[in-house]
Amino acid sequence: MEEAGGPAVGDAVLAGTSGIRAPAEVFNSIFVVFLGLGTLVGVVVISYTLYNAYKYRYREDEDPAPEMERPELGELPESGGKGKKLFLSFGISALIVLSLVIWTYASLLYVEGKPAEAQQNGVEVLDVEVDGFRFGWQFTYPNGAQTAELRVPADRMVNLSVTSQDVFHNFGIPELRIKSDAIPGQTTNTWFVAEETGTYQANCYEICGEGHSGMTTKVHVMEPEAYQEWYEGTEGTESAGNETAGGEDHALTGPDERDAPGALVPARAGGVP
Amino acid sequence: MSHGEADGHDAGGHDFPPMSSVKRWFVTTNHKDIGILYTITALFFLVLGGVLALLMRVQLWGPGESILSAGAYNQAVSAHGLLMVFWFISPFAFGFANYVVPLQIGADDLAFPRLNAMSYWAYLFSGLLFIASFFQGGTFDGGWTMYAPLNVPTYMPNVGGTTVVLALIMFVAAVTMGSVNFLTTMYRMRAEGLRMRDLPMFSMSILLTVWMMLFAFAALLAALLILGAQHLIGVNYFNTDGGTLLWTHLFWFFGHPEVYIVFFPALGIMAECFQTFTGHRIVGRKWFVLAMVLVALQSFVVWMHHMFLTGINLEIKTLFMVTTIGISLPFDLMVFSLIYTMIKGRIRFTTPFLFSLGALILFIIGGITGVFLGAVVLDYEFRGTYWVVAHFHYVMVGGATGLFAGVYYWFPKMTGRMYDEFLGKLHFGLYFVGFNLLYFPMFGAWETPRRVFDYALPLGTWHKVATIGGFLLGASFLVMFYNLFKSVAVGEEVGDNPWEYGTTAEWAVSSPPPLENFEGKPSYASGKLSFRDEPELTADGSGDGGPGGNPSPDGGLASSASESSSDRRSDGGVRAESATAGGEALVTGPEAVAPSATGAAAAHETEEPHADHASIWPFVIGLAGFLTFLGVSGVQNGGAYYWLTGSGGVLSAVGFVGLAREPFHVPEPTVAEQWPFEGVENMKLGMWTFLASDVVLFGGFIGSYLFLRVANGWTHWHHAFVPEAHVTFPGLVNTYLLLASSFAVVLGLVAAHRNSRRGVVAALSVTWLLGVGFLINKGLEWQHLFHISTEAFPNGWNVGTNVASSTFYLTTGLHGAHVVVGLVMLMYMIPRAMNGAYLGDDETSIEYFGLYWHFVDIVWLFLFPLFYIL
Repeated sequence: MEEAGGPAVGDAVLAGTSGIRAPAEVFNSIFVVFLGLGTLVGVVVISYTLYNAYKYRYREDEDPAPEMERPELGELPESGGKGKKLFLSFGISALIVLSLVIWTYASLLYVEGKPAEAQQNGVEVLDVEVDGFRFGWQFTYPNGAQTAELRVPADRMVNLSVTSQDVFHNFGIPELRIKSDAIPGQTTNTWFVAEETGTYQANCYEICGEGHSGMTTKVHVMEPEAYQEWYEGTEGTESAGNETAGGEDHALTGPDERDAPGALVPARAGGVP
Repeated sequence: MSHGEADGHDAGGHDFPPMSSVKRWFVTTNHKDIGILYTITALFFLVLGGVLALLMRVQLWGPGESILSAGAYNQAVSAHGLLMVFWFISPFAFGFANYVVPLQIGADDLAFPRLNAMSYWAYLFSGLLFIASFFQGGTFDGGWTMYAPLNVPTYMPNVGGTTVVLALIMFVAAVTMGSVNFLTTMYRMRAEGLRMRDLPMFSMSILLTVWMMLFAFAALLAALLILGAQHLIGVNYFNTDGGTLLWTHLFWFFGHPEVYIVFFPALGIMAECFQTFTGHRIVGRKWFVLAMVLVALQSFVVWMHHMFLTGINLEIKTLFMVTTIGISLPFDLMVFSLIYTMIKGRIRFTTPFLFSLGALILFIIGGITGVFLGAVVLDYEFRGTYWVVAHFHYVMVGGATGLFAGVYYWFPKMTGRMYDEFLGKLHFGLYFVGFNLLYFPMFGAWETPRRVFDYALPLGTWHKVATIGGFLLGASFLVMFYNLFKSVAVGEEVGDNPWEYGTTAEWAVSSPPPLENFEGKPSYASGKLSFRDEPELTADGSGDGGPGGNPSPDGGLASSASESSSDRRSDGGVRAESATAGGEALVTGPEAVAPSATGAAAAHETEEPHADHASIWPFVIGLAGFLTFLGVSGVQNGGAYYWLTGSGGVLSAVGFVGLAREPFHVPEPTVAEQWPFEGVENMKLGMWTFLASDVVLFGGFIGSYLFLRVANGWTHWHHAFVPEAHVTFPGLVNTYLLLASSFAVVLGLVAAHRNSRRGVVAALSVTWLLGVGFLINKGLEWQHLFHISTEAFPNGWNVGTNVASSTFYLTTGLHGAHVVVGLVMLMYMIPRAMNGAYLGDDETSIEYFGLYWHFVDIVWLFLFPLFYIL
């Protein structure tokens, strides 16, 4: 958390932006803390519950609290007392929850504010537009090139502007811990920094029709040099290719590179019958 | 309908058949019968939704396994969610609510028994409508959240998709009728001395649930009506700029309170069972109740936490993060309250207690995993994954666990026989293990995208365990069904109170309770439940209090309880004479009349009117609704659908006329705790609550219009989408017409006060004519706009032209439909007025109608500036 809202790493531009704490790191560190605390609280509370259930079980031969007044048929409801203890435990639980959430709020500010801050500090950022359609993804790079799989350089901040050409989708790369709704007629943003090269899978996280389960694609995180080479090779290829990315076509087994689907579904559906 | 006309000759039957008769179950309006019907029907939908879930679990045995096609899987996912959330959990809870709440509060029945029956039949037939959708080219396949624009016909062209929308509309109608009924009952018919704060925990939870239902479901109704219009008449809403987000707002404004609507009744049952089986009163009961009230209120301000990734700004995210955390805190208190209740108890591990304790543990896990989602940065990643699936199943099915506690808790009361304790415990064991094997591994496999049948290989083990758990959970219900069937037949007979520490009033009557619940009048006036003899009361009272007779301030019995039937009938079904039917029919429109003072007095002189318990019309209306909606779903395809629509329409008319003309006597309690509505008759309170939900409905429509207009640019809208021909003048004329008609209703009321039959007839007729004038003027205006031909709108400006025309026609059309309903009511009232009805103290019907009519008028005062001036 020490970097949350911390100083920008403006001088790291040439060396890439690996100094930026990626959303994946933010998520993982918080998740671990939540898991630990959540398990602890759960175990304590449930054990305490079961302990009491056992301890005060009904026994014919002995009554642990013979002096207690028991509820009677037809009485107007009354409280069983012990309000003080109730509020004490309530206070403790509220304190845990509140401090946890306030703590994560700093991270939220960090994740939300980072792109603007990076821009201000002149950090090199790659902007890619992501377009969801039934049932695939289209990525548009600053030079106008379009692809069906996402290629990004490692250690570079990548800014995604996500939208949809038809219905509500959600673009997410689970291993990089980013996700963004793809809503027709509007753009949402998310960003990430991938530290390690490799191939990741991206999924659709909002039900969008028959091909929803297969609406995946690949994300290639490349060495910056290799990326640069590939990127320069895409100049003027925005209209290349006419292959439609089929919904049934799982990216895991699909061709390594698919060019932009030329025959996309019509952009907006009018409701006029 | 004069009193003379109302006499006798009603085939609908005041013969009340015994329980063994099939006919009984079609005509009954008794809350206990309807409670049983609800419970059984809900269990049927549980099985249906459960089978769909098992199909999904089989599909998920390995990544991409396929016993279902991709389309079928989506249908299974969507239908499972919709059936379980709408047709199982809440109706299941309302089975108990129907059976138990009147008993707990000391009422003979619900305030409007026939409305209750109608609510049940609408529920059942809406479920059958849903089932029909599977056979109409496939059911709705866009998830239970029904996100836009996948839900519009462009992407969902099959008739089944439309049918589901209509089924949901019918379901909401059932819910709204139920809410109005329960609110009126619980505010107006409590036993003497039972203050609101003294409501038993289960009744308290139902009270808060129906309050939430009243408003939340109205918002859903707005969304569904718009969606239905989009399917049937081609309006443009959810397919336009901003339409996608509009749906999420409308849906989640309903959807989040829905979580508590589902959970609260279970919480109430858990609280009852904890107190009964620990032999220890609920710790901090007052705070428990207060926490529930807080949650009910806050539930309406957390909906946008379902939308953290939709690009809403940081300020709103922060605000909704805060409200979300805020709503989780009261639950902490409730959980601790239940835990501390066990301390110094004498806990008996009966089946209902095991299910309650199990529900508490599941809810603790559900709550903790929910805190993860409250942290927005984590929520970003959990969205659309199995974390969410696992979490809400822990909460919602955890809630259902509490409801199963209710099955065993009240089974002896409902049947008079004890369930088999060993089989009950076996059910719990299988259920609890199966539940956790099913849902806990989903936390392990949380990276699986939701509603997807393909997943990364390493998650396979988790999914296999979950599938095994799913089948175990399913199998546990075979044990339950066997146990219940067996025990109904041969279970040990039980007395009034099989549980040592049961405190609430249902345990003070026989098992099962008599038809009208209590021997004698239940009262808490002495600080403890007692039953007063009826004759004593009758002797005590002199004359009749008339509608809503108020108990005197000291809670004394000055106004008599003569209306409650004196000769108690057993449940076995005895011919209930309709007596003089002097108390007028109580029906659902303003044409309905509360037992009129004169009528009741007349009855008093001759013989006491019995409460009626049988009416076939609710069933007829439910069936008619089914036929109509099924017809409408495919009416664009013509053919058989026309016939269905037509016959449904005719049957509806028959049903409503039959209902309105049927003499049906429902006594209002004359001695009852009615704070804070002592001076409001049942019908009026019912009308108020109904109008309150109608306010939210119109709010949904107006809010949608404003939202879309802002999304499209406020002024751009006016310039680009609205033709010059859309002028202010017709709207202005209509404003005057409606204002004048409201004034005419007031004059009618004055005339009724003065006993002027001619005045009443004249005033109502003028009202009617002004209303008709309103419609004609609107028709002319619309006709003109439909057929304009300008450069911008060469083909006219009709409902489907653009988003502005759609919002205009649909919103003002909904208002127009309200006007039509009002005119139909008047067409019923005017002939009655000619025969001398509504005079003197009998003007309440005009007052109820006036309430409705003024409301419709006020709505127009909002619509006029919004759609004509701005």
